[in-house]
Amino acid sequence: MTQTVVKLIDTTLCIGCKACEVACQEWNDQEFTVGTFNGTYQTMPDLAPNFWNLIKFNEREVDGGMSWLMSKYQCMHCADPGCLRACPAPGAIVQAKNGIVDFVSENCIGCGYCITGCPFDVPRLSPETKKVYKCTLCSDRVAVGLEPACIKSCPTNCLTFGERTQMLRVAESRADVLKADGHAQAGVYNPVGVGGTNVLYVLKDASDPVAYGLPKDPTIPLSVILWKGPIKWLGTLLLVGGVLGSFFHYLKFGPKHEPADEATDDKSL
Amino acid sequence: MINRYDFAERAIHWISALSFVYAAFTGLALWSHKLYWLALVFGGGNATRFAHPWAGLMFALALGFMFRRWAGQMRLDREDRVWLLHSYKYAMHQEVGLPESGRFNGGQKMLFWLQALASVALLATGVVLWFPEWMPRALRLVAIALHPFAAVLAIALIILHIYMGTAAVPGAFKAMIQGKVTRGWARAHHPKWLSVDSR
Repeated sequence: MTQTVVKLIDTTLCIGCKACEVACQEWNDQEFTVGTFNGTYQTMPDLAPNFWNLIKFNEREVDGGMSWLMSKYQCMHCADPGCLRACPAPGAIVQAKNGIVDFVSENCIGCGYCITGCPFDVPRLSPETKKVYKCTLCSDRVAVGLEPACIKSCPTNCLTFGERTQMLRVAESRADVLKADGHAQAGVYNPVGVGGTNVLYVLKDASDPVAYGLPKDPTIPLSVILWKGPIKWLGTLLLVGGVLGSFFHYLKFGPKHEPADEATDDKSL
Repeated sequence: MINRYDFAERAIHWISALSFVYAAFTGLALWSHKLYWLALVFGGGNATRFAHPWAGLMFALALGFMFRRWAGQMRLDREDRVWLLHSYKYAMHQEVGLPESGRFNGGQKMLFWLQALASVALLATGVVLWFPEWMPRALRLVAIALHPFAAVLAIALIILHIYMGTAAVPGAFKAMIQGKVTRGWARAHHPKWLSVDSR
């Protein structure tokens, strides 16, 4: 059986070296675009079509001093991906059996529905190619038994990679260690609203994921569920009903002739 | 033969009709994976992504012209309401007791207003979906559900309209192509129009 793969991010071990950002750019052969400097240590303020992995330096005041809550911003590889649900082009977004959610550029039509469907605001539309891009969890590396580039480059073991149940266990035990160290709120970020994610975080304060730039209770947007559910079924019923209704109306009642026509018809009988 | 639709009316009707049909089929392709083959018929997924919004815009513009031309004649009066209430009789060819129609009957007027309403919704949500990168997420979330909802209502109305304009009412299609109808046709379908506008 194919194993589900997981990237585990222990935010407490991140030193902000950004080796993972470089490794991601290198492996995926992305040209680096000079971005905006916004007064923080972050490489860029945001993800970009050619920049899929951003180390966030979330600044927080602790005991009168400044503290960083490190986090890694990239595709979460949800078990129930909102992007996939919203995508109208078959084969443009695929969910592999190992849990990787991958964008297939040749099938992408650039409609941007995945951007709206994603509860984590990850996919980015390229104005040049008119296609959408995001982290692939290095599906090309994983396919040949290698770990993703970011994990390979991480010097502190903040990033680890492995089979899902095992990684969940590792994450929980790491959270337990943090709790024993006095971080009572420590925990694992694995939001149930999207069926769990194959990118897991260990957070020092799991009660406040927003402080790390992570949504508190991410879910598939209601409008996407409505569109792909009731609206689609009722709409299909209405359209098929309209065509069939018209057809059978014609069979039963026929065309609406003007009286003059009928008079001529009668004569011809 | 008497004139029913002048050239401008026919031209704008067919511009809106063709752009609607293109937008509807390519829209249905994006509506369901099972209908995605329609996108391939109409030039492929990327062509659909590019041209569907333009076709929609063209339809909206054409509808704008139609609105300017016809809105005054489409006002529903008391008799139209009676007609609509008894439209099931019209559907069963039992015209006795139905109020006589003017240039447009109650059903045509309803189609006009519902289509106008759907088109406003389609245009507004369509622009949001056209440029997702510039639109706030809240708007995109509304549009992604409202656009197909309005579209499916509009398409259902058009299915009825096409049926009425071709098979159900002989002479109607010819009127929209050649612009002329027989006196008998006008007397049967739009007697009040004939009496006001008899030439």
